[in-house]
Amino acid sequence: MSLLIQLITGTNIVTNALGGFFLQPVAVLPGWLSITAISAVLGVFLLIIFKYTSNQKAIACTRDDIKANLLAVKLFKDNIVVTFRSQVKVFAGAFRLLFHSIVPMLVMIVPVSLILAQMGLWYQTRPLQPGDAPAVIKLTLNDALQTWPQVTLEPLPNVKVVTGPVRIVSKKEIVWKIEPVEDGYATLVFHVGDQIFTKQLAVGNGFMRLNPKRPGPQFSDILLFPLEKPFGPNAEVQSISIDYPERPSRIYGTDWWILYFFIASMVFALLFKPLLKVRI
Amino acid sequence: MKINRRDFLKHSSCTVATLATGIGLKSALAQTEQFPVIKPKKVIILAFDGMDPRLCEKMMAEGRLPHLDRLRKQGGYSTLGTSIPPQSPVAWANFINGAGPGSHGIFDFIHRDPERQAYPFYAAAKTVAGQGYLELGDHKMQLNFWPFNHKPAQTILKRQGTPFWDYLDRAGVDSTFYCLPSNYPPSPSLYGHHRCVAGMGTPDLLGTYGTYQHFAEDGPEETQTEGGGKRSKIYFEGETSLPVTLLGPKNTILKEPVPTQIDFIVHRDSQARAAVIEIQNQTVVLNEGQWSEWLKLDFELSMPALMPDKKLSGICRFYVQEIAPNFRLYATPINTDPSDPAIKLTEPEQFSREISQKLGLYYTTGFQEDHKALSNEVFTEDEYIVQSEKVLQERLELLDHAVSNYDDGLLFFYFSSTDMQAHMFWWDSDAKHPIRSTPEAKKYFQHLQKLYSRMDAVVGDMLKRYGSTAHIMIMSDHGFANFGRQFNLNTWLRNNGYLGPPDCTAVLENAEWSQSRAFGLGINSLYLNLKGRERYGIVEPGREKEQLLDELTAKLKALRDKDGRQVIRAVHRTEQAYSGPALHYAPDLVIGYSRDFRASWKTCLGNITDEVLLDNTSAWSADHCMDASEVPGVLFSNQPIAAANPSLVDLAPSVLTKFGLPIPSEMTGRNIIKT
Repeated sequence: MSLLIQLITGTNIVTNALGGFFLQPVAVLPGWLSITAISAVLGVFLLIIFKYTSNQKAIACTRDDIKANLLAVKLFKDNIVVTFRSQVKVFAGAFRLLFHSIVPMLVMIVPVSLILAQMGLWYQTRPLQPGDAPAVIKLTLNDALQTWPQVTLEPLPNVKVVTGPVRIVSKKEIVWKIEPVEDGYATLVFHVGDQIFTKQLAVGNGFMRLNPKRPGPQFSDILLFPLEKPFGPNAEVQSISIDYPERPSRIYGTDWWILYFFIASMVFALLFKPLLKVRI
Repeated sequence: MKINRRDFLKHSSCTVATLATGIGLKSALAQTEQFPVIKPKKVIILAFDGMDPRLCEKMMAEGRLPHLDRLRKQGGYSTLGTSIPPQSPVAWANFINGAGPGSHGIFDFIHRDPERQAYPFYAAAKTVAGQGYLELGDHKMQLNFWPFNHKPAQTILKRQGTPFWDYLDRAGVDSTFYCLPSNYPPSPSLYGHHRCVAGMGTPDLLGTYGTYQHFAEDGPEETQTEGGGKRSKIYFEGETSLPVTLLGPKNTILKEPVPTQIDFIVHRDSQARAAVIEIQNQTVVLNEGQWSEWLKLDFELSMPALMPDKKLSGICRFYVQEIAPNFRLYATPINTDPSDPAIKLTEPEQFSREISQKLGLYYTTGFQEDHKALSNEVFTEDEYIVQSEKVLQERLELLDHAVSNYDDGLLFFYFSSTDMQAHMFWWDSDAKHPIRSTPEAKKYFQHLQKLYSRMDAVVGDMLKRYGSTAHIMIMSDHGFANFGRQFNLNTWLRNNGYLGPPDCTAVLENAEWSQSRAFGLGINSLYLNLKGRERYGIVEPGREKEQLLDELTAKLKALRDKDGRQVIRAVHRTEQAYSGPALHYAPDLVIGYSRDFRASWKTCLGNITDEVLLDNTSAWSADHCMDASEVPGVLFSNQPIAAANPSLVDLAPSVLTKFGLPIPSEMTGRNIIKT
């Protein structure tokens, strides 16, 4: 495994512990409230990071410059040369502001990505519910395997296998269709040859921390699905995914939550900007 | 959480009432009402399409319909007179208007346009072409805003007259209709008290009345169209198929419209007898003989460059019939997605979304049981039963939803199962069935009887829930009869010299109008080629017309099959049978067949066969398009039926009377329930 993958896997252990602790209230609060609260706290937190990782003096200077040039545009609107020059300077100022944001951005990009991955575990999909349409489980085998191993899924009391295992030979995949029966977390146990591989399954109402995919050794997958330890490059299994249903809400639902988070966190950051005396 | 109008009204009614009383607004509100305030009442109508009185009476006598029998013993049972002719669009329009075809203008499934000489068109709705467009490359854009003001194509309901719910709507009585036939597109509610889910007549996303798609390894190389479906070949390389194309609606934004399509891949596991279908990022896993859930599919309509493509949302289910050696896959007709409808499915439009939020996706086409798949031998009888059962289960869930959301007013709920399964499984005699052995015919007729018993249980449940608080009516639009022999009216007309030339093979292709005095179109309609009315008419109005009608009536009634049975029970002169303002497309004669006889498949669209009378060889082995007297419907009520010989047109007046409203003069029916 490459160093980067080992690093992100190690980091996930820490973020999972922190996420498990700090995001626990998501399980009991209404979705709109929890995501608004998280956005507020993180908006302010990221604002503070911005304050201490950016060159506030230079930003202040640049903003003053921009203001002066905007004033010049207004005052000398009859003089095309001055107006044009001031407008160029306004644009240049805007680019300088962007430049001053690079360092804080670089500092924040890693923690923000990790936080978003933790939030995704709660908001991106919803757990299966008894009575739902059957869900698909997909197990991907290692390409290097020369022969098809015997693959079975251990029976579980709270899950009923409707169909499968069905082999997709051309893609080295095996799929099952399952129906959840009882609420709760369960561990799916797959026997592949003489090896055992597991995957967590979440069944229930409301919000549960769930990992749609136990990834293989791919950086992006490990970042996006941090909850379970990734499979190694030589393991017989390279990923196991569960087709969880989308969460239908325009605030905290699938794909919408991230948009809401960015907007709400920005609003809270702007509200707290004067209080914390931050120039952005 | 979204709250719908009904929930909102329910939750806010107490508050509003308290406030209104408290601050003296009650009298002011009453004064602003245009119409009398009606005391809340409950009327529930359960409609079982095609439920037959003979079978009901037999089963009641055997104790197999206990709840219906209870109503009968209380004086709440009668046969129900059907329409002339007893075809569903006509019958349901009679029910809707409380008056006959002269009021609503629907006389048959198919009408003819006299100005275009026998040009056939669908009677209940028509699509009006759009007006104006802007050409952009291969596309023609319709822009319905200033300064372009183009008019898009639209479908218009052709049923004329005033539906009875309009009177309820105006009086402030809530009415909700689920799956009502003869009401597509659903007519608007003017006062906001009427809701409706359109039923029979609603097209699929392809604009047809249901087009399945079938893929098989032994399918035709080129996609083949058959009545109600398409067949294609599927190719496998190893255990994975080459891309398979599911055809969608035509992209009418193109100058030359072509069907949209979605490609999908099938992986099969012959050992596990299962398959995986990958379509639009969705993975469907199915065992042999298993049906998928509904899948949402987006059909992309290409737009001119720089404009984002449009998407039409459809829903479809797959059914894996066989994995190997001959892989066979059935896809249902692409139904309009009720959660994002491309066409108006309900009144108000939001209603289909509200239902979908509660129940998920569901069939939205008018004909939901895929009888065409059985007729075309894509399905076996047992497969058809499974598919029909899925339709029925959805309908029962919808009924449960309807009842949960019902407070007062009128609730109408329609079941198609009793009709669509009867067409395929009814056979109440020992005569030879068109396609089945006698034991098989008996077996499937037993299945139909079990379905009647299940419907009886639905009635029992409704009586238990609302029997003491609501007036409950159970009705059918017509009954059923065997359909063993088919009569080609146009062949008969040609052979008897009424339709020329003597070697004419199809009315619409090679009829010589100067030699033709009469022709048939539709199932029960006979038209004279009347001068001054039909474009190339030759029969003089007046004496010649009268003589010809008398002659045809006498000859048709005298017709006998080879075993001596009377083929035609009655011939109705429409000027005597119908009255009202909407007679423009009325035929001259309506042919009322005896039981076991019906118009032949070919004659309905004017085609001529060698024989006049021939065996019906279709799985569609029972029908109701006979004479009205042969196939009456049923009426059960938990309140005594007071009038003799009730008919479909009497139900609307009875409902209005129940709510204290006068019977409008346009209605020909009367109140038949004891008040």
